[in-house]
Amino acid sequence: MTADQALPAAARDRVSGFLTHPLNLVFIAVAAVLAFLSLYPTAFLIYGSFTDAPLGLPGHFTFANYVRAYSDPSAYPLILNSFVFGLGASGLSVALALILAWVTIRTNAPFRRLFELTAIIPNIMPPLLISISWVMLLNPSNGLINVVLVRLLGLGKGPFNIYSLPGLIFVEGLILTPLAFLIISAALKGMDPSLEESAKTLGSSELGVVSRITFPLMRPAILAAGTLNFVRALESFDTPAIIALPARIEVFTTKIWREALGSFPTNHNLAAAYGIGILAIALIFVYLYRRFTSKVESFSTVTGKAFQPHQIDLGKWRHWASAGAFVLLTMMVILPFAVLILVSVLPYYHVPTWETWQTLTLRHFKTLYESERVYRAFGNSLFLALGGATVCMLLASLTSYLTVRTKIAGRGLLEGLVFIPWAFPGTALALGLLWAYVDFPIPVYATIWIIMIAYVTRFLPYGLRAVSTTIIQIHRELEEASTACGAGFFATFRRILLPLMRPGVMAGWIILVTIFMREFSASIFLYSPGAEPLGPLLYFFYLDGWTGPMAALGLIISLICIVLIALAQRFSRWES
Amino acid sequence: MVIKIRYALWALIAVLGLAPQPAWSQSKNLIDAAKKEGGKAIVYGSLESSPVEKIIKVFRSKTGLDAEYWRASSTKVMDRALGEYRAGRPLFDLILTNADPMIIMAKEGIFAKYNSPSARNYAPESIHPDLGPRYRNVVVGIIYNTRMIKPADAPKSLEDLLKPQYRGKLVMPDPTQHTTTTQWVTNLWKVLGKEKADRFIRDLAATKPVLVESLLPAAKRVTTGETPIAITYVKYAYIFGKEGAPLDYVRLGKMMGDGHYVNLNNKASHPSAGKAFIDFFLDSESVKIMADMGEFVNLKGVYPPLPDADKIQFVQMDGLSKKEYAAKKKEYQKIFLK
Repeated sequence: MTADQALPAAARDRVSGFLTHPLNLVFIAVAAVLAFLSLYPTAFLIYGSFTDAPLGLPGHFTFANYVRAYSDPSAYPLILNSFVFGLGASGLSVALALILAWVTIRTNAPFRRLFELTAIIPNIMPPLLISISWVMLLNPSNGLINVVLVRLLGLGKGPFNIYSLPGLIFVEGLILTPLAFLIISAALKGMDPSLEESAKTLGSSELGVVSRITFPLMRPAILAAGTLNFVRALESFDTPAIIALPARIEVFTTKIWREALGSFPTNHNLAAAYGIGILAIALIFVYLYRRFTSKVESFSTVTGKAFQPHQIDLGKWRHWASAGAFVLLTMMVILPFAVLILVSVLPYYHVPTWETWQTLTLRHFKTLYESERVYRAFGNSLFLALGGATVCMLLASLTSYLTVRTKIAGRGLLEGLVFIPWAFPGTALALGLLWAYVDFPIPVYATIWIIMIAYVTRFLPYGLRAVSTTIIQIHRELEEASTACGAGFFATFRRILLPLMRPGVMAGWIILVTIFMREFSASIFLYSPGAEPLGPLLYFFYLDGWTGPMAALGLIISLICIVLIALAQRFSRWES
Repeated sequence: MVIKIRYALWALIAVLGLAPQPAWSQSKNLIDAAKKEGGKAIVYGSLESSPVEKIIKVFRSKTGLDAEYWRASSTKVMDRALGEYRAGRPLFDLILTNADPMIIMAKEGIFAKYNSPSARNYAPESIHPDLGPRYRNVVVGIIYNTRMIKPADAPKSLEDLLKPQYRGKLVMPDPTQHTTTTQWVTNLWKVLGKEKADRFIRDLAATKPVLVESLLPAAKRVTTGETPIAITYVKYAYIFGKEGAPLDYVRLGKMMGDGHYVNLNNKASHPSAGKAFIDFFLDSESVKIMADMGEFVNLKGVYPPLPDADKIQFVQMDGLSKKEYAAKKKEYQKIFLK
């Protein structure tokens, strides 16, 4: 055999060797699924960003959309505004989540189980409703909190003004906190306390343990939550539309709306060009995240030995810790919910007076009770939420394993693929999904399946982040022990890794269920009349001015989600 | 006797022939054809769901046919309809929305020409040569909270909004963001004259009105009492007023707005059901349902239950091209957002 003949033979051997390993086959399968889900719809958007005609019409290749998007000098102060907004909101959300997670998972503060449940509730409410609730509480004219403070303290005017950059950061921070809480608390639950106990044995105080052991080990989870929430804030539109606009504060997404999505007719080519910019920022953060968490062993705390999470006895301070957590939950949950309840029982919303009690009504709930459309929407959404979240977490678990645990070349690309659809504004992605599937050989368009595909496509990053922070903590010795005992990849994944990843998997599952129950922007173009999920129904109640039924429906959705979350948390709790 | 019977028969025929018939009852063949198609029309539209659901309920009981409604804003309706049409898989049979997106879709050639018999209910000036009858108008005016501003102290005209006592008390949709408001501001010359309109726009911007996302949030701020006066749809004074909100509207006399139309897809899967729905939708029974729910319809003598609604002189706004919208938004950014 000559050298030339030996070369192709060697390559063939390498390829067949690669394909015989089950892990490599799994990698190929997962990569293919992710590439399809991610690139197929976004290819239309990316293509659209380089043409001058709407999708479906012949156009010419051009950079004009990018020139228009990024040569406008007014864009850069807005990008800076957005960065300040994003950093502020994500920083606030991580700080609040850390405090809440530490109190509920690592201390003996009373009522911590209740705090753990209620911290997730704001994720159930559509961000739009939370923003509206806070405007009703803190607007300078007749916000409820301002009115009460003026009357109680005899002030000339209310001390708070929601229509400001701090107000915007505050509301968005509260909206983002549940997601950060779920990620951070899952990592805290999964941490073997032996390092902390060793530190205590060597004379460190509890504060020293927390600052020098616990929080540094939590770095991947903190970074994951911060990264996710920063990009979410950057591409958020609902909160800026309601709070920033009256304050005459502009952020990048309000500019995108004005120039592209809210223009007439909608300029999806320009929106896609803007989306590429947000995608670039998201991918930079993904890269930074991977750089900061690359030394995986340094974060491994889950080993083969059984353990109980380390619990700190706060002594006389435990009630203060509960009080602090209660204050945070009052802002995150109780106040917005109180407004929602009020709106659901008033004939129309107004600042309550003594006469208000005589006008209370349950007719908004009656409207829902009598509506066939609402029952159908509930059925559709429950199916999408439970099924979609399960499919999403299975995919996220496999992806996470491949990117964190293996040395397969190109594994980092998987994470990039997952984030691509997420970077585009929701409405732009919805159009990309329409284009991708309207003429698909398998007739999924205008069925419930296309909505599930849309949800998985858009929200996979949430599931991935939640489970990645847990898998980083699992030491390799457990897999090695399983392999040494003769178990293959699938057996090890199913019987060793998945159970150990359970806190992260359940955290991700809960996040996704609550989002899928009320999601709107990805499904707007895809659901068919009669197959409407709850998210669009909620949004159209808002669009039609049906604030009462919208609030009533929001409450009912929240109650159902609380039951689902309580069941999921019970299922995911560690057994000793 | 035979002659008397013959005269009676002729008289009966004359009466039956001359008596006004509901248009949809003349389309029994259409209904039968629609039933063969599957008996259902798919409608995409921007009209609020509550009147449409009521209309569909009556349509169902009167014809035995059904309709399903997908509701979104007018631009999303257009985006979805054009997206499906260009891909060759339009699911919709009908579109219900306002003039500008309808014109774009008509130019793209997606509509079939259908002369509904119900069109005879409309005045000739309400019938667009390409889009058919303008079944309703959305009227933009000024509403205010009567608990915060007494009717005697309320503004009486657009120019009154510039008075110092109303400074900081007005909310309106952002004309640099909301396309109907861009259109409204651009068309103010129709009610004020060119010179006065230009001055009014600059002076209005100088009062720094509170800017919101669209017409509904503006109305909501008046309902909640957060801001006492709003530029918004006049119909909200009735819609939220009947829930108990203390609202009234300023009797401006002339008020501008946009017309809404309904059209059939030329690739409709259920063309007969679509036509039957159009006939019913444009007819008096359906239009009265809309009017009773606060809509300004174009049927003569039919008004929403809003005081003095019959005295409003509707002025149709001119549409803007894509370039005109972009140019006006840029211009208003300099005026309203400085």
